[in-house]
Amino acid sequence: MRFPRISGILAWGYALLLVIPFYYLVISSFKQNDDIFTHPLNLPSTWDPGNYGEAIGSADLVPAVANSVIVTGLALLLTLLLAVPAAFALSRSTGRAGRVVEATFSLGFLIPTFAALFPTFLLAAFTGLFHTRTFLVFLLPATAMPLAVVILTQFMRTIPRELEEAASMDGASTLTILRHVHLPICVPGIATVVLLCFLSFWNEYLYSLIIIGPDPAQRTIQVALPTLQLTTGTDYGVLMAGTVFTLIPVFAVYALTQRQMQRALVSGAVKG
Amino acid sequence: MSVPVGSQVENPRPASPSPVPQRPAPRNDPAAWRQKFPGLALPGLVWYAIFTVGPVVAMFVIAFLRWPGMLVDPGFAGFGNFRDVFADPVFWDALRNSAVQIAVGLPVMIVLAFLLAFYVVRKPRGHQVLRFMLFVPALISAPATALMFYSLLNPDGLVNGVLETLGMSGRAWLADEATALPSLIVIDLWAGIGYSAVLLASRLDSVDEEVVQAAMIDGAGNGRLAWGIYWPIARDFIGVVAMLQFLSILFSSAQNVLLLTKGGPGTSTTTLSYLIYQKAFVDADLGYSQAVGIVLFVLGLAGMFAIRRLLRPTH
Repeated sequence: MRFPRISGILAWGYALLLVIPFYYLVISSFKQNDDIFTHPLNLPSTWDPGNYGEAIGSADLVPAVANSVIVTGLALLLTLLLAVPAAFALSRSTGRAGRVVEATFSLGFLIPTFAALFPTFLLAAFTGLFHTRTFLVFLLPATAMPLAVVILTQFMRTIPRELEEAASMDGASTLTILRHVHLPICVPGIATVVLLCFLSFWNEYLYSLIIIGPDPAQRTIQVALPTLQLTTGTDYGVLMAGTVFTLIPVFAVYALTQRQMQRALVSGAVKG
Repeated sequence: MSVPVGSQVENPRPASPSPVPQRPAPRNDPAAWRQKFPGLALPGLVWYAIFTVGPVVAMFVIAFLRWPGMLVDPGFAGFGNFRDVFADPVFWDALRNSAVQIAVGLPVMIVLAFLLAFYVVRKPRGHQVLRFMLFVPALISAPATALMFYSLLNPDGLVNGVLETLGMSGRAWLADEATALPSLIVIDLWAGIGYSAVLLASRLDSVDEEVVQAAMIDGAGNGRLAWGIYWPIARDFIGVVAMLQFLSILFSSAQNVLLLTKGGPGTSTTTLSYLIYQKAFVDADLGYSQAVGIVLFVLGLAGMFAIRRLLRPTH
């Protein structure tokens, strides 16, 4: 079969544009400035990891990663604690109230939360949680609620009602049914939600910057990274070492969950 | 704060063909009660109302307040903030920059992403590798993307290095009024094409192979196949992806601008979403900032309806 030539050139050209920056990023992270300027595309003569030590030290990247892990982990947990029961209830309700609640969550996709950055900042100040990780842990699940509820509700609708009725005849309570009937069947749906939320929580930048602020003890990795630009000036080797360092966790997760993640992003965005 | 948003906006459709038909249940049965009122959805709903809906409502209130700084008591301004906004040349610059960013970036992104998706679903050699790679920009945070492009586009970065070895002279791409906004558009494209292509490919995958075969027997070339068959079939979904990227460019440009150009040089890269950020957190003109927020909100909705009209299904 003959394949489209122009789109082939486009496709592999774009792939090249994806690869070259990463190649440049990784090799530069082992070089000194003058080597980067004079031989931008050459492999480093020696693979000196010194830039990494300096980047991690000068931007306090280790506590920042720990903060990101804490914020992302707790926010994910809270998202599931709120969204799973909600989806369970919505998938089983056939009344008008259920439809209204479901539509309310769906409308959330239309709300451009970014425009409300300043009122969110006020809310943080008002609750006394300004400049803390805690507020972000509370905020992030709310932003993920429409997506999580919609995906999980669709999943739970596929579960036959007979299963639930059988369990309830045996005297199972609502929570028991949720835990022992729905949760096991919904594992793929939950994995989808977890992957989508992981990406969006881990990579969140502007809200973290405004709400957590500059305190190295509280800030996340995404807030810590750009400070390298200020602390190291234009020491590109250090800058790129820091950038590579922050990419490692996401790439590790992507490599491990590649198939599920592709499916998750597709199903998250596409059900029409 | 971008979660991939999708066509649930359009038609939240249950995964199963239709909801299970209602059946009579005995009175006082908890399952029957649950059918009427989804009580377990309340915590999630309240949470969502406080942290997402609340701030948006507050935005509409603050836009009508005169509030020059956090420590000042706000007073009522009526439409004063909107008059200030519309009288401010910086606002019109920002509007123009956002319009250019979308009018140039969005069509290019969607067409290129469609061609890429078309290529991938025809399953050429290496299509698996390509699918794996197309996804990569979607994994990278805004700060990491920005720092990467900072190192590429700076006066002593890779782009100028390559240009100089080719005998051309480089320039300060991000600090030059003529190239700063185009550079930001290029970054949007770099990050958005792959992700859009993956989404579009998932839709094109479901195009009926028999239709394609029949067309090829009739002598349709790749061009006819792409624009005559795949595009019309996937049209509604292309609209969904276009809306997604439209909102992402309109709202998330503040991050790249903040990290790379801070709106400059002059006002050449001040976009609407960056103007909101700048007025709120740099200039402390809170009423003005939220008035722009409402303008952005309205533009976002208007743009989505326009895209829907433009790319609604034809079959």
